[in-house]
Amino acid sequence: MTGRKAGGPEAGAAGRWRGTPWLACAGLWAGALSAQPAAGESESTPDLWWAPGGDRPLPAYVEYDNPDGRLGVVNASGTIDTDGHPFFEPLGTNGRACVSCHQPADGMSLAVTSIAERWQATQGADPLFAAIDGMNCPNLPRGDAASHSLLLRRGLFRIPLPWPPVGAAGEEIVPEFTIEVVRDPTGCNSDSVYGIDGERHEISVYRRPRPAANLRYVVSSGFGVSPFIGKTGMLSALDPETGNPVNMNMMADAREPTLKRQALSAAQVHLEIATPLSPADLERIESFERQLYAAQAFSRFAGVLDEPDGPSGLGPRAMAEGSDGVLGNNTTRYVIPMEDRWADLPAGATREESERNAFRESVQRGHDVFFFRTFWIRDAMHINTVGLGNPIKRTCSTCHGMHMTGMDTANGWMDVGSTNHPYALEPAESPWAEDLPELPLFRIVCRADLPPHPFLGREIYTQDPGRALISGKCEDVGAIVIQQFRGLAARAPYFSNGSAANLRELVDFYDRRFNIRYTEQERIDLVNFLSVL
Amino acid sequence: MSGGRIAGLRGLVRHKRSPLLCLLLSPALAAAAPPAGERISFVSCPIVRDTRSVPCWLSEYQGDLYYLTIQSDVSAAVQPPLLGHQVLVEGVVSAAAPICGGIVLDALKLTAMPELDRNCNTELPADERYTIDFNPRPPGPSGGRLAFAPDPSAPRGAPQAPPSGPQTVDIFFDFDRGVSFRHPADLSQIMRLARQIGATQMKITGLRGAHRLSDGTLLRESPATGQRRAEEVAGLLEGAGLDLPTVVEWTDGDQEADGIDDWRSRRVTVELTP
Repeated sequence: MTGRKAGGPEAGAAGRWRGTPWLACAGLWAGALSAQPAAGESESTPDLWWAPGGDRPLPAYVEYDNPDGRLGVVNASGTIDTDGHPFFEPLGTNGRACVSCHQPADGMSLAVTSIAERWQATQGADPLFAAIDGMNCPNLPRGDAASHSLLLRRGLFRIPLPWPPVGAAGEEIVPEFTIEVVRDPTGCNSDSVYGIDGERHEISVYRRPRPAANLRYVVSSGFGVSPFIGKTGMLSALDPETGNPVNMNMMADAREPTLKRQALSAAQVHLEIATPLSPADLERIESFERQLYAAQAFSRFAGVLDEPDGPSGLGPRAMAEGSDGVLGNNTTRYVIPMEDRWADLPAGATREESERNAFRESVQRGHDVFFFRTFWIRDAMHINTVGLGNPIKRTCSTCHGMHMTGMDTANGWMDVGSTNHPYALEPAESPWAEDLPELPLFRIVCRADLPPHPFLGREIYTQDPGRALISGKCEDVGAIVIQQFRGLAARAPYFSNGSAANLRELVDFYDRRFNIRYTEQERIDLVNFLSVL
Repeated sequence: MSGGRIAGLRGLVRHKRSPLLCLLLSPALAAAAPPAGERISFVSCPIVRDTRSVPCWLSEYQGDLYYLTIQSDVSAAVQPPLLGHQVLVEGVVSAAAPICGGIVLDALKLTAMPELDRNCNTELPADERYTIDFNPRPPGPSGGRLAFAPDPSAPRGAPQAPPSGPQTVDIFFDFDRGVSFRHPADLSQIMRLARQIGATQMKITGLRGAHRLSDGTLLRESPATGQRRAEEVAGLLEGAGLDLPTVVEWTDGDQEADGIDDWRSRRVTVELTP
């Protein structure tokens, strides 16, 4: 938390709160949502951790502490009875439920701190650490922390994907490139069972679980959805129920088209379910996910984030009431509307009020850095190649343009360098280095009879080929779907490969990648802005 | 970009001092520029020049500096090239005043060459002699609509009658490239036309393009490019649900070119028959 405040309180209160979650006070929420928290709900949440089958209700509104304040979780349809609910029940053979990796306190994702706590609390016996993906490779000894190092240190689950890729109809896709394992610290990609040339013909990549909240925005088809993918001209994925094209903006590689298909796949892979989820179960999961919202509700430096006269884009209520499918990279809708309400605040009557206002001004400045501070975006596949030129002088919100979430509006995979050499974070190789690379490294060689990758050529090194493992396209190597910005304070680390341990590292990555040359004040302001989303 | 759109930009990016000072890259640039009306076609590295507003794009050929376009957004008819790649430029020399220090070209077509060229890395800093006082889209967020989107307050023309009878759609490609971000609108148009005319059959013809450059060089696309394009378009249309009896053809021989609108040779033609 160093360097995070501009006149805010000292960081003494930064510890993770471990009491009863905060519940909505009636005055704050009265009339804001149709579903109101009912009296008595505050007694039913003794633990932050939602174990599968806990059978306690998830209130209409609940807040959870995190290092930056409190996250608010809204169930717009009212209190959720989790008893028998397929999102919360351990339906798989390994004891997990969806909620295992999508924890309300963690913004419906999973913070690495929560993972470490579960390890400590259960000595590694929690279903979270199931061999199939909670270990670096299923063939390693379970219960040994080294076998779970990627999960424990970076919050990464193993994602096994078929190689060569398989299309939606089960057809084999002929890839435009070959792939070989250059480095295999987990041993999985060279394994005789789990490796690329193993019995299963899989490639293992390691990724963070994405938030299962605010999904109405994530799956919206309100902008840029057509039968053809806007960035490539290729065919859009179809909703198997309706036959309509979908926005392909979900999961790191957009491999599943709908929430139901994602649930079906996740139950099979991560829950190791014996019998596929029933249509009724899928309906309940999707309904739950579509009405669920999460965002930071209280900042320990900025105070209450959704005051009636405050910025309209902050807080979980704004998420519940906002418009989806809207491009916000403009001065009519904005990505995160703040209306300059935290600009030029008066000095407070008390020291506490002055510090709060100073922090709020920092958040406003951080917003302005995000929205207006130009820099040169170069060599980023699927942004510099879509008619804007290379490089382009733009801002963060050029790519993070979706109103309210900061995602891309549709087909949101891009390569900003988070997994591809030379930009992906790697420990420095030297005889004196103690840190060793933790992630696999693949060498991709693109076919000579096709155009090369526009910025990386025909030979690419990557920790995670991203979308290319699904499409088989050379140009998709390392392209990852942009994530939403909400609830960031509750779910470190960041990027799909967990390579940014905190928001400062996230900002610093972009600064290095695009040679932005942020000032120290700009970095602080940007981090503060991100911390209140 | 149409000539009309160029005209809309012309003269709006001005240099404040002597026009000769615009010609910065080489002493040879001070030589007489080619006459207005002359067709020109060359392959060269693009150059990006920053300004206080959006950057402008240039390219040098035989000692002359040509203005290509400015950064705006995806609605621009001429979209900027890519550093890291050479650019194939086709246009007609304009009599208009230089923009951003470069000779203006009408009927301009740009395409990035597919192979990487790390020598194409010239980025010029903002120079007070060049200012852009026409700003269709600032470098940050937009004002609420795309730079070249029609003015929503402008009167709308009379609705057009739905198409009938056979329809032909040409799809144009970047050099040696297949379907890309440029093509969803074309493909969607074909889908729409097929529905509107009740198409019963379709013919798709792919061409491998060729270019005659101003120095006489004949530039041909890679072999089998026409086939690859035709089959890709056919597959995409079928995949999107256009289920018609379809003839797929291509011309992949050694094409000739005369330097006049050669960009049109990088093409797939789709013919729809009711």
